Amino acid sequence: MLDDIKTLKEEIATYSITNQDQLEEFRLEFLSRNGRVQSMFKNLGSVAKEDRAAVGKGMNEAKQLAQKRFDEAKTNLEDSTSSLRSATDDLTLTAPVTSIGSLHPLTQTMDEMKNIFYRLGFTIADGPEVEDDFHNFTALNFPPNHPARDEQDTFFVRKSDDPEMMDLVLRTHTSPVQIRMMENTKPPIRSIMPGRVYRNEAVSQKSYFLFHQVEALYVDENVSVADLKETLITFVKLMYGSDVKYRLRPGFFPFTEPSLEMDIWWGSEKDGKWLEILGSGMVDPNVFKASGVDPEKYTGFAWGMGVERIAILKYGIDDIRTFYENDIRFLKQFN
Amino acid sequence: MKISYNWLKEFIDLPLTPAETAEKMTLIGLEEEETFEYGSSLEGVIVGEVLEVAPHPNADRLQVCQVNLGEEKVQIVCGAKNVAAGQKVPVATVGSTLPVKLDDGSLLTLRKAKLRGEVSNGMICAEDELGLGTDHDGIMVLDSGLTPGTPISEVFDLYTDTIIDFAVTPNRPDSTCHLGVARDLSAALNLDLKKPEVTISNTVQSSDDISIEIESPEKCNRYVGKMIKGVEIKESPAWLKNRLMALGLRPVNNVVDVTNYVMFELGQPLHAFDYDEINGKKIIVKDFDKKIEFETLDHVKRTCAPGTLFICDGNGPVAIAGVMGGLHSEVSDSTTNILIESAYFDPGSIRKTAKAQALQTDASYRFERGIDPNIQAIAAERAAALILKVAGGTVTNEIVDIHPVKTETHELTLRKSYLNRLLGTDLSIDEAINIVNGLELEVVSKDDESVTFTIPTFRPDLEREVDLIEEVGRLYDYNKIESPSHGIFVSTQEFSSWELLLEKIKRSAVELGFREIYSNSLISEKEAEHFGSLDSMVGTLNPLTKDMTTLRPSLLHGFMKASAYNFNRQAKTIQFFELGNVFSKSDDWTYHEGIQEQTHVLFGMAGFGSQEHWTAKPKEFTAFDLKSKLNAFFDKLGLLNGISSSEENDSLIYTYNGSHLGELKAVPKDLKKTYDLESSVFVVEISVNAIHKAVAELPAKSFTSIPKFPVFEFDLALVVESGITAGQLIDGIKNKAGNMLQNIEIFDVFEGESLGEGNKSIAFRLHFLDPNKTLNIKEVEPIINRVVKSLENQFSAKLRG
Repeated sequence: MLDDIKTLKEEIATYSITNQDQLEEFRLEFLSRNGRVQSMFKNLGSVAKEDRAAVGKGMNEAKQLAQKRFDEAKTNLEDSTSSLRSATDDLTLTAPVTSIGSLHPLTQTMDEMKNIFYRLGFTIADGPEVEDDFHNFTALNFPPNHPARDEQDTFFVRKSDDPEMMDLVLRTHTSPVQIRMMENTKPPIRSIMPGRVYRNEAVSQKSYFLFHQVEALYVDENVSVADLKETLITFVKLMYGSDVKYRLRPGFFPFTEPSLEMDIWWGSEKDGKWLEILGSGMVDPNVFKASGVDPEKYTGFAWGMGVERIAILKYGIDDIRTFYENDIRFLKQFN
Repeated sequence: MKISYNWLKEFIDLPLTPAETAEKMTLIGLEEEETFEYGSSLEGVIVGEVLEVAPHPNADRLQVCQVNLGEEKVQIVCGAKNVAAGQKVPVATVGSTLPVKLDDGSLLTLRKAKLRGEVSNGMICAEDELGLGTDHDGIMVLDSGLTPGTPISEVFDLYTDTIIDFAVTPNRPDSTCHLGVARDLSAALNLDLKKPEVTISNTVQSSDDISIEIESPEKCNRYVGKMIKGVEIKESPAWLKNRLMALGLRPVNNVVDVTNYVMFELGQPLHAFDYDEINGKKIIVKDFDKKIEFETLDHVKRTCAPGTLFICDGNGPVAIAGVMGGLHSEVSDSTTNILIESAYFDPGSIRKTAKAQALQTDASYRFERGIDPNIQAIAAERAAALILKVAGGTVTNEIVDIHPVKTETHELTLRKSYLNRLLGTDLSIDEAINIVNGLELEVVSKDDESVTFTIPTFRPDLEREVDLIEEVGRLYDYNKIESPSHGIFVSTQEFSSWELLLEKIKRSAVELGFREIYSNSLISEKEAEHFGSLDSMVGTLNPLTKDMTTLRPSLLHGFMKASAYNFNRQAKTIQFFELGNVFSKSDDWTYHEGIQEQTHVLFGMAGFGSQEHWTAKPKEFTAFDLKSKLNAFFDKLGLLNGISSSEENDSLIYTYNGSHLGELKAVPKDLKKTYDLESSVFVVEISVNAIHKAVAELPAKSFTSIPKFPVFEFDLALVVESGITAGQLIDGIKNKAGNMLQNIEIFDVFEGESLGEGNKSIAFRLHFLDPNKTLNIKEVEPIINRVVKSLENQFSAKLRG
């Protein structure tokens, strides 16, 4: 009996297992319920009592050896048999595309501006795109025959000879939201007004009949040009980096006095140029009066800029119409 | 507006280079747009002698010339027909730069070239190529006595200048002339301003030569006439022509050139009439209450609206006031006596006329902005003095000056307190006076706290104290104002719930895999018609093109257009959202009576949800792809539990606590066809205003314990008539299942003969949860029985065996 066990052990140790089929044959041969190891245990009863311990031990050793060989062979086969991998186990196969969402570059640019303003302690305000003549022009100190009121620049939505019925226009700037804020809020006011505005202009590479603005308004008892300047400088540093080169110069807007514009240096030291990025100024006393704010008590500053213009500069976009075509190949560049 | 650097230097001793001058102008509010050189010293252009001219072997129009340049002989290929052996010609040698602008804005620099195989060492030049004239018909032929090799600068008196083109803001009419710009610079740089000296003759109301009458004094505040007799009309001297040509004006004759010169010098537009063509020796300034036909000196016959102001003589109109003169009384070569007109016209009246005629002239440009109402006599005398100089003639010691509406100077007080409060500076009154010194504001009185100035009439923009503060600010230089001592602000103000919602919507949409689009909110009537009756939409009254007639009533058009655009460019999958305003006429108006402006969000999916790939078959989107995203969206907003939906006309209408949110639908075939779209398209458009209301009513967010016990799932397959919807059955189940029911899913839908015709089976999986114990079948079974019984009664639903 012990000799049989010895032979069995040798057979187990030398059994050739090089593929899955042989592994299965090995299992059936030695490890299955009717396999040769198990069959020997069935004969243990017929072994002489005094030999039983030694035989039993031998049988157990054979069983453990078979199990060990099986496990080792199995692991080896799994590890090394690349030739056995199915074609779909190939990790270099391409994966299906996950569709991802994205914010429009104008939203991203506006968000960037908003986040800077939030850091500067501004909140946000909103108003209608269809606006009346008072909020879009009169309250903002546009004289009755100001060129900006010309039909060529402004989309009219309603015109009436009835003096009770105000003309309605598509707002030409987001400034009317400033008027609405001042009408409804007691200073201090510190808010920005982002939104869509319209100009009745021919469409070209450089101009579109609608675009977006972000304006800011700060009204309190002692707001000065120095405060305006400090805020503008902080803004451009946050927007364009702390080493941005800038300058302030006088400008003209009906709704601010004094009016200032800000340029930043764009391009290299040698080949760059000054680019106008925003208009600003101290709220004109006439605007305060029209909005029910006492100009002797309060002062304030306002400023505004075009979102498209900022985005065009930032990304080097060469045609403003691209923003409204919504070409996926364009949008996905802003994932 | 263009100004000449040389000309500026006549009024101030400028210590700045042209580039520095332009920069300084920008910093005081006269923003430089472009600075460029006028003329050229023509270095490297020399006299050449054409020795030989032979036809070019490979080009009919070109000729090969051998040219003697003095020190050397070279071959030059020339295209001009008039080139001939023996001529002395100007030759631009290799390396020289000519005042010829190339497309990129740079100037032409000559290089050694091969033209159709023949070497060319330079260029024989035409007049215009040297900036010496406008002639481009052929090369310039020089005096035959010139020595080859002589620099052209020794042959001609060359004129060079630097021109600064700057933007004139509407509030600064005083800056539309050289004297005005010089005044601003003199104030900013603290320089003396040297004005031209002018002697004013005796002012009379009429003379033997001319009588002037103003019938419309509100449109013509003043009219000055100055006679000059016996002039000789000829070409202007070089200094005068150079001044004008450098600014881009074409010299006409000595008299007309002087009127232009004075306009650019003093800002007063002038007109010179041929006196002998003025009928009846009289000038009448008037408007008519009817249309007038009139031919202006640009040979255009114009129809002028009633109310247009004219200068008339005894016969009728001779000029459109302030805009353009007439053909008839124009100064011509045979003119000997002239009348100089120097008038002040109302800006509004001129603007209206110029706009109606679509005719902006140098004169109307200035009148529209408002010229100095007190400079007319000075300008007329200045012009007369210059005309005597360049055209001869005689003047009397009289000037006719009709001045029915006089503009007086006014006074303005500047308070130190307001000045410093607004600028954030700490200036004294004396410092402020010093800063604006040079603007010709006269100090009337002053103390430590304030100063009162007399405002000159050439500064109509200085009306209020705040306008004076701007003068101090701009001349002080805003860049020099110091930072405030207090820090940047903090705010305790909350963000508006509206803004927070918009941000949440955008963020959620992106997380759900949608790309944001921006579409036009102005669309054409033709496009709008697909979305309802035009009568219910808001239109624009004066669109530039038919593409911008109607404010979008819905976001759908934008989505359809963007989808079509992308499908036409090989896109396979569209998953877009847009957040924007829509407009309609409504009694339920928002800001303005009759007009409702609402914010909507649209989600749309079109094309293939999964594309052809080895892991899966390509599959077009279904309505349930969108419905699933929408549920997730509502879940994000915390609204999912209160949402109900019902089907109407193939659309799924979403409501929240009974108020309408929007509808989900497959875009119908006929609409898709309008956009040439073939694949399936699903959209849902939701009112953000309605969502805002719903979100506002949500209870504040609070924590709910995580369930300690497992969910008990029960599967229920029901057979119903095919007309019954799943939604009806779900509502029925929810009604009877009690509050342990957490969720319902549908895991199978089946139609087949085995169920009998007209029947279908829907299999639901109900999720029950008791927060306090583990549920078992005994507790759930009675609920199921209740539900089944109720569904039997309501919908004749049967349990599927």
